[in-house]
Amino acid sequence: MSSLSIRDVHKAYGPTEVLKGIDIDIDSGDFLVLVGPSGCGKSTLLNMIAGLDSITSGEIRIEDKVVNDTHPSERDIAMVFQSYALYPNMNVEKNISFGLEMRRMPRKQRRERVAEVAQMLQIEPLLKRKPSQLSGGQRQRVAMGRALVREPKIFLFDEPLSNLDAKLRVDMRTEIKKLHQRLGSTIVYVTHDQIEAMTLATKIAIMKGGVLQQLGTPAELYNQPANMFVAGFMGSPSMNLIPAELVASDGEPAVRMVRKDESSMLLPVGDNPAYRDWIGKPVILGLRPETITDVGSAEQDSPLLFQGECLIDVTEPTGADVFAIIELNGREVVGRMRASCGAKVGEKLSVVFNMRHAVLFDPQTEGRIG
Amino acid sequence: MASAVDTGVQSGRFWRVLIYVTLIVFAAFYLLPLFVMLVTSFKSLDEIRQGNMLALPLEWTIAPWISAWGSACVGLTCEGIHGYFGNSIKMVVPSVLISTLLGALNGYVLTKWRFPGHRWIFGLMLFGCFIPFQIVLIPMSQVLGLFGLAGTTAGLVLVHVTYGIGFTTLFFRNYYEAFPNELVRAAMIDGAGFFRIFWRILLPSSGPIIVVTIIWQFTNVWNDFLFGASFAAGQSAPMTVALNNLVSSSTGVKEYNVHMAAAMIAALPTLLVYILAGRYFVRGLMAGSVKG
Repeated sequence: MSSLSIRDVHKAYGPTEVLKGIDIDIDSGDFLVLVGPSGCGKSTLLNMIAGLDSITSGEIRIEDKVVNDTHPSERDIAMVFQSYALYPNMNVEKNISFGLEMRRMPRKQRRERVAEVAQMLQIEPLLKRKPSQLSGGQRQRVAMGRALVREPKIFLFDEPLSNLDAKLRVDMRTEIKKLHQRLGSTIVYVTHDQIEAMTLATKIAIMKGGVLQQLGTPAELYNQPANMFVAGFMGSPSMNLIPAELVASDGEPAVRMVRKDESSMLLPVGDNPAYRDWIGKPVILGLRPETITDVGSAEQDSPLLFQGECLIDVTEPTGADVFAIIELNGREVVGRMRASCGAKVGEKLSVVFNMRHAVLFDPQTEGRIG
Repeated sequence: MASAVDTGVQSGRFWRVLIYVTLIVFAAFYLLPLFVMLVTSFKSLDEIRQGNMLALPLEWTIAPWISAWGSACVGLTCEGIHGYFGNSIKMVVPSVLISTLLGALNGYVLTKWRFPGHRWIFGLMLFGCFIPFQIVLIPMSQVLGLFGLAGTTAGLVLVHVTYGIGFTTLFFRNYYEAFPNELVRAAMIDGAGFFRIFWRILLPSSGPIIVVTIIWQFTNVWNDFLFGASFAAGQSAPMTVALNNLVSSSTGVKEYNVHMAAAMIAALPTLLVYILAGRYFVRGLMAGSVKG
């Protein structure tokens, strides 16, 4: 069943169009992450779902009921804000039960619900404290408690982790994921952090400049990005985008790569029918860093493995891996090697290109080919 | 030593001493009138006539205070100033409470429920703060006459509320400007309405600015002379007007000690408010200027 449906939604502030026709559908139990760079309109969209911003044109439905003109308190949603927005004058218990009180729930029932949620989030000892006496992580829990206690149809999260330090952020991320798996609730979650999007989402909507770039599962977005923006945004370090010419090598489409020493190599890109029309034309080759490896860590069952000697320009050890930068077609290209591969700056290394996951883009439209 | 004192700029010992000496001299200079008033109010008339203004009383007496409160002549009646003190209280308390509440409500609307033209409305209110009192005297008296409030304490309350709203709105608007919008939005989603958000969320978090506004309004309304003299004659006059009448009522002898005692009584409430809540005043005025 469709839980949330966004149809051709526009938002304009005067002459500036912030959202240019967004279409998103998610099912009950989905975890939708809206992701994109700042100013892409993701928070505006969330506020429109919440009813805190008006809709210029289009339609938003929650469980098949159009909510365009419904007051936020009657949409059956709960929101967790970036700043947590805990009421500073109330203790934790009052903060959590305020929404229930406003809905005239009897005191006894309210107590039970608060106790239930407090236990779930392990904040029972904090119930009598004021928000100012809580740490960042504790405030985050209380904010989630305030949303959970209402048992709404949809939970809205507005960059809830961006005020936490790195370690806590990862912990809370896991916590949110666990909570979603346990409760099976529908969640819409806004972030600018692509790792959060990848780890949490069942569906990702990636936006830029008020336009939905791609909607799909994390794997779809990662492996078949719709365009160069999506390819560059998802994944860290981001996908290498190398301008190249598509040529035919033994009847198979391949890209020509010129190394730093001016020697060239041909890398077949697999026999996709859509590639045939592009032979002899310039394309952009997209290769993820983990598909450019040392010989030992290559994906052995891939049918498209090619090996070539490349000069290492820079190495960036991260502990587990080493990111090695080589030059192809005049571009810096990042590959991901094992720490023990022996890559040394200024020396040549045997590099394996796993072309099974390579994607090609149209240099003009920036859309994916095939 | 110097490093134990947390100041923005480190200064040498010599300068520190100089600064302290200067400050003490100025403080003494400013406190001198108060000192003279106090000692005079505890002296007998004979002692005052001997002429040493700064000397402590040889014989302390509270008779001038009792006289000022209960039996000194104000105009033609000789019942002291206690009735007028009561008038001032009856005027100040509602004026301060109503103008503070309205200011808070205005500040809330002007920051959290903005409407087209809100800047204009606020600008006009600010402008109202700077209109000299004298200009409004005649139109105001006409309005009071129209409402049938001329010469009453209720009329004075209306005048002071009207004049106070500009300032109280300014205070609360600036305070609520820094109040996070997300809290209002969260309360909206929780199902609270316009007044519920105000009473339950904003007002309980406005302690410092409420104190500032109350001190400000209390001092202004209590100390006002012009409106009191113009709009409340005779028995309903406030303390400040009565004090003036007391001093200018002549029964042959100038009772300086009684006048000083009456002036002290007139000044006590504002002094008290400052002593009790003064530290919030500075704190509240600075609120929002520094983050955290």
